[in-house]
Amino acid sequence: MRKTILTLFLLNAILYTEAKDYNIADFGARADGVYLNTSIIQGAIDYITTHGGGRLIFPRGSYLTGSIYLKSNVILHLESDAVLLGSVNVFDYVKDPYIGWMSMIFALKQENIGITGKGMIDGRGFYTANNMVSNIHKGIFTDPLKLDRPNETNRPQNIYFRECENIIITGIMLKDPASWNQTYDQCRNIYVDSIRVDAKNYWNNDGIDIVDCSDVVIKNSFFDAADDVICFKSHDATKICENVVVDNCVGRSSANGLKFGTVSRGGFRNFKVTNLTIYDTYRSAITFAAVDGGIIENIVVDGVKSTNTGNVIYLRIGDRWSQNKVPYMKDIVIKNVYAEVPAGKPDAGYLYEGPVEDLPRNISPASIVGLPQHKIKNVILENITIVYPGGSNPNYAYRGLSKAELDSIPEMPAAYPEFSQFKELPAWGFYLRHAEDITFRNITLTAEKKEYRPAIVADDVKNIFFEKVEVQEPESKKKNQIFLHNSTRRKK
Amino acid sequence: MNYHKIVNAILVVFLLPLTSLAKDYNASLFGVKSDGLTLNTRSIQKGIDFISANGGGRLVFYVGRYLTGSIRLKSNVTIKLEEGAVLVAAPSIYDYNSSAGIKALVSAEGQKNIGISGKGVIEGRGTLLLKNMDELKVRGFLLDSLTVQPALLGFSNCSQIAIDSVNMIDAAGAVQRFSNCNDIKIATITIKSNNSNDPAVVFSENTGVYFIHSYVEVPGKPMVWTGDSRELKLEKTIDSKGSALQP
Repeated sequence: MRKTILTLFLLNAILYTEAKDYNIADFGARADGVYLNTSIIQGAIDYITTHGGGRLIFPRGSYLTGSIYLKSNVILHLESDAVLLGSVNVFDYVKDPYIGWMSMIFALKQENIGITGKGMIDGRGFYTANNMVSNIHKGIFTDPLKLDRPNETNRPQNIYFRECENIIITGIMLKDPASWNQTYDQCRNIYVDSIRVDAKNYWNNDGIDIVDCSDVVIKNSFFDAADDVICFKSHDATKICENVVVDNCVGRSSANGLKFGTVSRGGFRNFKVTNLTIYDTYRSAITFAAVDGGIIENIVVDGVKSTNTGNVIYLRIGDRWSQNKVPYMKDIVIKNVYAEVPAGKPDAGYLYEGPVEDLPRNISPASIVGLPQHKIKNVILENITIVYPGGSNPNYAYRGLSKAELDSIPEMPAAYPEFSQFKELPAWGFYLRHAEDITFRNITLTAEKKEYRPAIVADDVKNIFFEKVEVQEPESKKKNQIFLHNSTRRKK
Repeated sequence: MNYHKIVNAILVVFLLPLTSLAKDYNASLFGVKSDGLTLNTRSIQKGIDFISANGGGRLVFYVGRYLTGSIRLKSNVTIKLEEGAVLVAAPSIYDYNSSAGIKALVSAEGQKNIGISGKGVIEGRGTLLLKNMDELKVRGFLLDSLTVQPALLGFSNCSQIAIDSVNMIDAAGAVQRFSNCNDIKIATITIKSNNSNDPAVVFSENTGVYFIHSYVEVPGKPMVWTGDSRELKLEKTIDSKGSALQP
């Protein structure tokens, strides 16, 4: 289990401080927010990369731009009050033919690159995306407009780096992309520190997406996102996300906080996530999904504060696009968690809030749900306190504890994985199904109002272990709060 | 006689539908802005690409100033600059591209049935562009690849080119360059440009060229021609002294 080798790397600061600084103004850029500087910025990057590298400095001002390509040994340095301002004309962006997405700042197969400083990247994506919608309606751009929005790949992100090495993203603010926000895809050595994200101005605005990358540090950062906050994905069945440290981050989302997936073809291993704060978040604070044949292995989450968030933990193996690849999820530790789940919609009032659900269901428990043939193995839950609102109403939605009722919970192997997918579940604190070796140690579950359901239900779980599990619920002195069905309990 | 009438009638019947196929598209359809501030390069290019891919037609600019960098004309597309419409060249050399070795504001390579028409203006802003290039040069940023001054028009390996009525002013270097093209009709255009001693109109190895009823005012040579001089028809085309242009 403790074979974790998290390669914390320190980027060679000297490399960057000794490099030459260039002022973008000297290349003719205008900081008036009106003149489109795309070609000038590109010209400057091309010059610096072919002349020994260095930092391209953007002094205070607003630099309008479309798609640019960052090149090796070039750092874009945005000084305080410098804004890289995204054009709202979607034709000013490139849909890179190799990457298949649009972005303001691309990098493809480059090394030693970065974006630093206290300035901002403002995609103005709401306007760009809606301009794209008009272009589609006018017939000058072809897109199916599924869900009445242009495809994610036909809207620019703020950053898309692919197959790059040695990336630093520090200090900056990233605002209002038209699609996902910043994606690092098949990159190695990524260092993200002290960034702020305000990404909730259009559909699919994520905080940060790490796809099939290795050796990643994300720390001291804040994310307010319409879609997932810190999202690890695996698009390629032959690749994997591994050796990742996430520390001291705060996030808000109308989807999930820390997420693995949804696309999860290769997998995720060797993660250490510490000191994570999630608030006002629609779905789960932590979601690990292995639904496309990928693996999830050797993950430690230590220190989570989750408030006003719809669900705390959702671990799921599914079988969506597995293509005969065998998924597994094992060796997961989640500890030192304090969470409060609200009765109402946690993200109500935010821009682009999560979809109003076709209920009914009462408040859902934290869940660990595998498939009969693919069990989730060796999960340690330790020092966890979750406060639920309670007050479930069996006349509104009901799932009892009989064999027939438990078996009636659908397996849904091909469904989109989310904590609410099974509708009403028979527990209010934890629901476990198709799992092995699950440890509950020092767990406190509180329901603030009376519940018709028990706190914990396990169905088809081998070797479940309980130590110091405390359940608090009004008027429930003699209630059996732990219900095991077709499961075995381990004593030690 | 009757035979000719019949032939004419047949021609009219067949040609009318063909001409009406050339559809007009307003530049604003593609988000092009007439404010003189918005750099429209990629919107104009989108318009050209779209029109070419959809059977051809004219991209029409009405009165206003349309800032742009290098754009590439595509087959069966004509840029129509109505009176008062000014295609304004970007002031940064980074906004220009070359195709087939010719750097130009409006270029075309290997295209057919293309043109620029109307009583509007193509304004090169050569003075400003050259000043900005000098500043880059002083700082050492003007790479060799950037030193070439862009022409206003640069066509290579194209056929059926019609340049009609347009006013072309203030180019940084040569105004028009044609290389290895066939069937070029340039009529009733005006050229005024005094930034360089480059020739205004440079023809290299073209065939079937008409250059008629036009006025060329530049410090250097109004025209240079290389290739078979029998392929050039000049008619009522003069320089600022009133002298007819010579091959």
